[in-house]
Formats: sequence, structure tokens, C-alpha cells
Amino acid sequence: MRNGWKFLAAGAVLAITLSTLPARSETVRMTVSFYSAATGPYFEKMAAEFHAANPTIDVKIDVVNWPALLQKLQTDISGGTNADVSIIGTRWLLDFVKDGIAEPMDAHMGAGFKERFIGPFLKPGQIGGKTYGLPIAASARAMYYNKTMLTKAGFPDGPKTWDDVAAAAEKIKANGGNGFGLMAKGTEVDVYFYYALWTQGGDVLDANQKAAFASPAGIKALAMYKTMLDRGLTEPGPTNYTREDLQNQFKQGRLGMVITAPFLINQIAKEAPTLEYGIVPVPVATTPATYAVTDSVVMFANSKVKPAAWKWLDFLFSKEPRIAFTKGEGFLPTTVEEAKDPAFTENERLKVFVNLLPNARFAPTVTGWEDTAKAVTDAVQSVYLGTATPEAALTTAAAKANQSLGK
Amino acid sequence: MAPRARAAALPWLLIAPSLILACGVIGYPFFEIIRLSLSDVSRFGQIRGFAGWDNFARIASDDIFIAALLRTLTWTVCVVGGTILVSLPVALVLREDFWGRGVARTILMLPWSIALSMAAIVWLWAFNADYGMINATLVSWGIVDKPLQWMARPETAFPVEVGIGIIVSIPFTVTILLGGLSSIGGEIYEAARIDGATGWQSFWAMTLPLLAPFLNIAIVLNVIHVFNSFPIIWVMTQGGPNNQTHILVTYLYELSFYLGRPGPAAAVSLVMLAIVFSATAIYMRLREA
Repeated sequence: MRNGWKFLAAGAVLAITLSTLPARSETVRMTVSFYSAATGPYFEKMAAEFHAANPTIDVKIDVVNWPALLQKLQTDISGGTNADVSIIGTRWLLDFVKDGIAEPMDAHMGAGFKERFIGPFLKPGQIGGKTYGLPIAASARAMYYNKTMLTKAGFPDGPKTWDDVAAAAEKIKANGGNGFGLMAKGTEVDVYFYYALWTQGGDVLDANQKAAFASPAGIKALAMYKTMLDRGLTEPGPTNYTREDLQNQFKQGRLGMVITAPFLINQIAKEAPTLEYGIVPVPVATTPATYAVTDSVVMFANSKVKPAAWKWLDFLFSKEPRIAFTKGEGFLPTTVEEAKDPAFTENERLKVFVNLLPNARFAPTVTGWEDTAKAVTDAVQSVYLGTATPEAALTTAAAKANQSLGK
Repeated sequence: MAPRARAAALPWLLIAPSLILACGVIGYPFFEIIRLSLSDVSRFGQIRGFAGWDNFARIASDDIFIAALLRTLTWTVCVVGGTILVSLPVALVLREDFWGRGVARTILMLPWSIALSMAAIVWLWAFNADYGMINATLVSWGIVDKPLQWMARPETAFPVEVGIGIIVSIPFTVTILLGGLSSIGGEIYEAARIDGATGWQSFWAMTLPLLAPFLNIAIVLNVIHVFNSFPIIWVMTQGGPNNQTHILVTYLYELSFYLGRPGPAAAVSLVMLAIVFSATAIYMRLREA
């Protein structure tokens, strides 16, 4: 009989719990990538604010590390257990659209929604005239230089050309430091080569979306890096250094120059507040250029709560949430209203990045971009290891990239 | 049912639940892998169509795959061989009764309790060119005059990875060998000693043959583990630089989750399965003969 009482009590608790739930509540699930320690708390806070304004909608946030994100999406999508909205690398969008996984969001948008965005950042999220991805994070690249080291080397305002970089690095080397940070491990090794390629007037792909980097400009660009390496103007053994390694060296004041993203500003402010540094555009040979990249939010076509999910996105892309996100992560503003905030207009360092945007190159929306990145990375590494000449390595890489590009 | 038939059916009936479970757990992924390997699969796992042998043809014509295949064999032979060579004397020493044996055994087993990827990260720090403990030691002892870039070149990175592979395989192997040694009674050694056998002779003529079944198990299990061992190489070099430290399993991971090709990746995993399976079968057959 005692058991009977237990059941009754449990039943009563269950009944009370159920009756306190709202009559019709919807749950929107969102997968977000881990950009920094601030990412999770930011989204949780936004979800709480959103829930306060829309009590019938619950937002559940799932934070995933970047390297694991593609794997998670892959398993979730093939198992049909994906979230309703997710952050993705914009370069994956083409596959999403091809597979019919992403929902075109144009029908959900109110009047003037698209106008909220800074045009060039929205464009990579549009395929075939429809909007599948909203730019949530945007970033560009510029050169950070250690003011103390560069002043001693005779370039107090930072280098402007690659010749300046080499000359400054020569002096820094003589003073016993690492001059130019050459990145050749992990992600963006390809992009590091593209800086030199673009500024030499070359291009990664031609108009037919085929590999064009094995051009005279490309060979010159890679040979330039290799010469700098051989002359000891970079850190030794670049194939051992990822972007994070170089950023750490820079923060420790042991590296003169490195090209990287705006979020290093936030990191330096937190971890090396006394470091004297400046930011200048990517050094030029003939043509000014930089790399710009966006991450997008997509809505899944199989979501059962699309209107609620859209409401959440509409909120995320309004002014205050955008400012909080971009400021917290150290990214570039993607919407017009947030760009007007003093946090961005009065930040001299961030302005360098913003001013570079007219010359920015985005990763093209083409299948095989990752294979191109891989082929170029291999080529760059083989040149640094001394197992291939720039010309041979790039020609092989172009042939490899062409096997996958546009297919 | 005749009593005899019933008696024959009973064992099957009794193992049926676990048999069905095993078939489900092993069979379903196996079936899925075969299906993926024969399909044109998108980056996000959507099957776009039947591909026949295309995925296999694709990996067969990929020189990174061929190089990784050969390197996997080098990796397995070096790590398993090295592990056995180190573990055997260690096990022999630990069998002896000496003061502090319990502590020594515990210390030896400790690395086992650390996750492989964590161990790899710690070793990566130790081999860090700028502030790693290895370089600091070598420089302070005057063995090298400036820090070595261990992970920058495959010629140094791969042997380092093999060495770490050996270190992390030792606890498991020593445990198996110690178990084997404890099954060999003390009397035969006593008898041998009375007959005037040297230590080397009794090792060669008695310990080794009697330990053979345990060595076999240690070798087979280590081959399977090491062949499929992902964390060390992935954490330390991700198969680079220039693909020159890739083994099949890291290549497979890169193919599937970086380049977004689950189809060819499934084909690679079937090739790996075939290799492990046949290596084990051949080895078992050889030992029986």
C-alpha cells in the first residue's frame, strides 16, 4: 500500500508541472560555433531576453567548437536530428542548397530586412537570387606590427610594401627577433599565400572558376615567401606554426609582423594590454587586397517551427543584439545600424579593417573550394620544406584543384 | 519438438538475445559504410545517387592515399615492434621480486589512465620548438646549440609520433605479458638452474616459448589498436606538413570531415577493415602452423 501512495504523489507532482507549462510553447534549437569564451553566454543571454519578450518561444542553444562543427552538422543532418537554425561557414552553403537542406528565407523577411545588412556581406549568402544565409560574423585580415620592434627597424608606422616587410624583418633579425610571421600549419595556410598572390596582381580562380594561382604572379608570390624563409626573415620552421601559434608569439612580443583577423585586438587587450602595436593594410606589391570571410546563419528546410525560428533570427539581427555580439567577439559589423555605433566608428584599429573592405576578396561560392585550399596548402608546405619549387608545386596544386572545382 | 532437437536449439535460444544485439551493433554500421562507399554522398551525408566503384577508383588514384597506406604499415610495424621490444624486458623486470615493485608497477600503468588525445597534447607541448621541455633539456645539456623544430618536418615529426605511440602502448602490453609470466610456474626455473642453465638459456628455451600465446595476443591487439590509432598523429601534425605524416585513419578523417567526402572516406574505411582483418587472420594462421 505504501507504494500506492508514492505513485499518487508522483502523479500529483507531474500534474502540477504540466499545468504550469504554457498551453502552446515552441522550442527553437540553434547550433552556434564557439568563437570565444563569450559566445555561449552571449547566446544564452539573447535567448533569455527573447524568451521574455516571446514567452511562447523557447530558444535552446548548442555551442560547438569550429573544428567539430562540420562533423556535428554532418551527423545531425544525415540522422535528421539537426537544429532549426545553425551557424555555418558560408563556403558550405552551396552544398546545403544543392541538398535542399537550407530554407530560402526571402518569404519570411519583412520589408526592409535585407537593407539592414552591409551589401557585400549579404551577397555570399545568396544563391540563385534567393537568400539562404544571413551574415552573423564577418572578418577581414590586416597586418599587425609590433611598434617597438618596427620603430627600431626604421618603420615606426608599419610596412607598406613587401619590400618594407623584408627590410624591416632583416633589422629585426639582426636585433634578435622573428621578423615576419609565416603561417604554414592548420587552417588558412592557403589564404596566407593568397595575400601575396593577390597583392602581386594574381588571382585564385579565373572567370571560369578554374585554378589561376599557378600564374607568374603566384610563382613570384610563393618564391618571395620562400626567399624570406631562406634568409631567416621569418620564424624558423613555419610548417610548425598555426595562426594561433603566431598570434601567441605576437602577443608575447617576440614577433614583428603577422597578418591576421580583427579578433586579435580583443585578445591583446585582455592578455597583453601593455603591448605596443599598430595595424596596417596587407602589404602591397602592385595591388591592394585582403581576404574577407563571413559565417552565416541558415534555417533548415526540415524545421517544424519556421515562423518562430524566423522571429528569433529577426531579433538576433536587430541593432542591440548585433552590437553586443560583434563587440564581444571582435568581428566586423555586418549591419548598417551597428556599424554606426561608436564602438566601431571610434575604434581606430578596427577602422583599418573596415577601410580595407572595398579591396576585399571573399571565398567564392564554388564546389571544390576546400579541395583547392588543401591542394594549395600542400603546395606551400612542400615549397617551405624544400621538396618542390614554387612553379612545380603550384602547377601540381592547380591540376589537383581543377579535378574538384565546379564539380 | 523431439527432445534432441530441443536440446540442440536451447543454446542458440539462450545466446539469441546477445547475438541479435551484436548483429545490430556491428551489422548496421557495417551495412551503412558499404552503402556510403557505393554512393555519391554530399558533404552533409545526403545520398545523391549510386556511384558504383567510383569512390574506390578515386582513392586508388590518389597518391596521398597510397603514401598514407604505406606509411600506415611503417607506423604499425614500428610502433607494435617497438612496444613489444620495450615491454618484454620491462615485464621481466617487474616480475622479479624487489623492494618497491608495487610502486614501479603502478607508475608504469599510470599513463594508461590518461586519454590518448590528452597525452598527445602534453607531448606536443613537450616538443614545442620555443618553450618545450625536450628542447630546453637538449640545449641545456649542450646536445644541440639551438632549439629543434620537431614538428616542422616529417623526418622528425613522424619518428617522434612513433615514439609516443610506443610509450602509450607499453602499459597495456606489459599487463598482458605480466599475466603471461605469472602463469609460468617457478619450479621449472628451479629445475633448469639445478641442471646448470644460464639466465639467457632459460629465457630463450622456457620463458619465450611459454610466453608465446601471450605475445601473440599482445601483437594482434596492438596491431588492431595502433593501425586505427587516430589521436597522436591528428593532435600533433594533422597528417602534415604536406601530408607526410598521414596514416589511413587521419587521411580518412580529413577526407570526410574537412574535404566533405563521406563516400570515398567510407571506401577508405572498408580498405582498412580488410587490411586489419586479413593481417589478423594471416598472423593467427601462421602461429597455428
